[in-house]
Amino acid sequence: MSTHVENKSAEPVTVKSLNTDNPRWCAGCGDYGILMGIKRFMVDRQLQPHLTVHVSGIGCSGRAPNYINTYGVHSIHGRPITVALGLALARPDLDIFIESGDGDALSIGGNHLVHGINKNFNCVFLLFDNELYALTKSQTSPTTRKGHPTNTQPSGTYLDPLNPLTLVLGAGASFVASTADWMPDHLASTIAAAFQHKGFSFVHISQRCPHYDPNAFDYKTSSWFSFLKHEKGITPDKRLAEKTEVVEHDPTSLEGAFKYASSERRYFGLFYQNSAKACYDDILHKLRDSAEKKPRAKILDRFQI
Amino acid sequence: MSVEKKKISRFELLMDAGFGAQKAGDILITAFAKMGKYVYIEPMIPAEISPPPRTRPALSGVIIRLADFDITNIGNDTDIILASHEIVLDRRIDDEETNVNCRVLLDMGDKPANEESYEKVCKRLTKMGISTYPFEITAESKALIQSLSNSGQNMYYLGMLSSIYNMPKEIVIAEINKTFGKKLKEEILSKNIKIYENGYDYAKANILFSIEVAGVPSQTEKILIDGNTSLSMGIIDAGIKLFSGYPITPASSIMHTLAKVFPSYGGLVHQAEDEIAAIGTAIGSYFGGVPAITCTSGPGLSLKQEFIGYATAAEIPLIVIDAQRSGPSTGMPTKTEQSDLPAVLFGNHGDNTKVILSVANVIDCFYAPQMARYLTEKLRVPVMLMSDFQTANSYKVIDKPKVTEMNNVDDIQDFVLERFHMSRLPANIEMVRDNQAAPGDLQGMRRVTGLNSDHLGQINYFSKTSQRAHAIRNSKIHEVRKALTKPEMFGPEQGNILIVGWGSSRGAIEEAINSCRAQGIPASGIHFKIVYPFPLMIKEIFSKFKKVVTVELAYGDEFKLSPLAMLLRAETLIDVQPMIAKATGRPLRPRIIMEQVKELLS
Repeated sequence: MSTHVENKSAEPVTVKSLNTDNPRWCAGCGDYGILMGIKRFMVDRQLQPHLTVHVSGIGCSGRAPNYINTYGVHSIHGRPITVALGLALARPDLDIFIESGDGDALSIGGNHLVHGINKNFNCVFLLFDNELYALTKSQTSPTTRKGHPTNTQPSGTYLDPLNPLTLVLGAGASFVASTADWMPDHLASTIAAAFQHKGFSFVHISQRCPHYDPNAFDYKTSSWFSFLKHEKGITPDKRLAEKTEVVEHDPTSLEGAFKYASSERRYFGLFYQNSAKACYDDILHKLRDSAEKKPRAKILDRFQI
Repeated sequence: MSVEKKKISRFELLMDAGFGAQKAGDILITAFAKMGKYVYIEPMIPAEISPPPRTRPALSGVIIRLADFDITNIGNDTDIILASHEIVLDRRIDDEETNVNCRVLLDMGDKPANEESYEKVCKRLTKMGISTYPFEITAESKALIQSLSNSGQNMYYLGMLSSIYNMPKEIVIAEINKTFGKKLKEEILSKNIKIYENGYDYAKANILFSIEVAGVPSQTEKILIDGNTSLSMGIIDAGIKLFSGYPITPASSIMHTLAKVFPSYGGLVHQAEDEIAAIGTAIGSYFGGVPAITCTSGPGLSLKQEFIGYATAAEIPLIVIDAQRSGPSTGMPTKTEQSDLPAVLFGNHGDNTKVILSVANVIDCFYAPQMARYLTEKLRVPVMLMSDFQTANSYKVIDKPKVTEMNNVDDIQDFVLERFHMSRLPANIEMVRDNQAAPGDLQGMRRVTGLNSDHLGQINYFSKTSQRAHAIRNSKIHEVRKALTKPEMFGPEQGNILIVGWGSSRGAIEEAINSCRAQGIPASGIHFKIVYPFPLMIKEIFSKFKKVVTVELAYGDEFKLSPLAMLLRAETLIDVQPMIAKATGRPLRPRIIMEQVKELLS
């Protein structure tokens, strides 16, 4: 995302002013952390709520826009990217965030993710990845780890999980970062970096689901993951970085990005950024703005006999 | 040579796909129109690009109806057919649209290599009482065609047809120049014109009849336009700013036209990755307060259904064009049908509240986007704009429609509303959500969802809230019901038989009723442009007739009600029966309607 001309309200933006009614997620759900990360970022940036639109699909993640006092479209399963593109084309003055889940973005909406990335239109895309379908009560998702029992594959999930990071890197994403719901500073900085990037900014968020898969992430320890760090990257979480490995990685290196993305070990940070990739919304707007203007009144003249 | 003076005539040019039959047709009708004759042209297009020549699927051509008075449809039967070989002719004869006096001009060029096949087809024609006029392209022209890498054959046929229809050579040549002048090199263009002249001279010398349909060059401004182009121009005139589509026949040509011109009028054309994405993007734009439209046909309609229901629940304006084609599934992509009505009305899950607008002709195509915008922005329910292959692709000469340059929907002009038989909606229509602000409004921050919502826009699963939301969504449709005026009727408003139709069947119904009455057969007709909801007075109108029957391009039989008949029976409890409910892919014919009326009345 990039900046726009701000038509500021007199009131400062606070976490409180961004609250709506109480979220209906389960106690301990990682989505609370993500929601707070989004609000903290909006407060830090004093992002104008009336010029911000959150767009989501279906699932636990899909509820997020209902809990942020901006404009919001809680759309249909798998298709928030398509709605967000309509907003980006129609209203380039708006800041657009997409909240989607692993089922929403990688299963039913996989096609749109690939094409959203290819179109590289200006938005922040947040993938809430809890590694299963939760709102529909524990089914296998594309990122469920092999062997994990679900209601649809009770003897244990059959396949190796799909890797969202290599998928989006392979599709040509211009911004790929990863963070987790339980590291608030890192989460807010990651959203800030994604917002700063012009184009389709893909943010993968590891998200806890205490109700259906409490053991998915050992969020109390940090030895099982590493942070990626670079002067052009995202600052590792201060508290957690002390207890684990921090790797220097230049986010302009696609090769390096693939190396860390495809590793068995989990990495958090900025994998890849390419600021030169063309944006589809810009192309369409330029095409319109540079076209020779013609009067509507004469629209039928060329069919005259 | 005798010149037969006629008020109306219909002819066909049949060739293999890819050899320019449609181009020749376009040139000829423009020349006819310049001379003040009324024309209606229906292209016959194969679903494939270039099927192998000399096969039945390769048939590509044009049907042209020509008259000295305004005509509203492609008519009944063909007087003259010019065919490039026997196979495309044989294929077309199967459709049974020739009249008893039909004359066939058959190019015998392929005969030496296909003796048996030619003889078989010629025998078939003789058996049907059709007179055949065999001819061959002259040696000089054959050589010219060869030198043009086997193109230009269409120019020869164009020459023959313009001679048979008594056209001045120079008027047609002027149109050839206009069509190809910028595209072809001087040398190639002059060879094409030479072939044209050869065909013209050949027919003058060897075809011993010609037909003349009178025409007076018009004093009013006239345009020649097809349905999809008219719709495209209407989209621009209606102030729509985003077109979002996915390629599908026959809707695609709207996207092609807009891709070329929309940016000059401040519009964006977005080709989405699939049908679902296309509609989602239109919805996103409209949520942002920017009028958008999406467009589809056949299978694409099925794919869009979930989002149509979403727009209903979320109260986001939405316009979907459905250019119908023959179904189910991929069916016949380049043939016409009106069988999407139930899918359009009932296709999404849950309760359905939407307005269905249809177009009867190319003029309606121009004004329908304004109507659709007016309805969807006032009501915030989806508006389905239904066209079909026939209307999308047929060309017609019309009085130049009035361009209105609509910006705000409240500025819609009365004549546009009247055209669709509707009066103005009340200023305030109740919405499920009190707040309908668009992003940018400082006081209006709100979230929409497909989940049941209360008047504050909050998600809510209470029984009363659900019932209230349903009632309000339906009351929007009731407002339309109340605003609808009497639909267009042909003939007296009471009698023995009332023919009912919708969309593209208007022309055939009007002509059939006129012919019936001219012959003293008492019949009346009624035509719906807004197909859902129906106006409140239909039961009263229907009850004044002994029989009410539908004519539809959709399948029906003694056990299965066709879509329009089914809907009308449900709405009126009157025993509406399908009189013609056919899914042949061919347009309705006035004469067949008249014959059926006679049979029903006897």
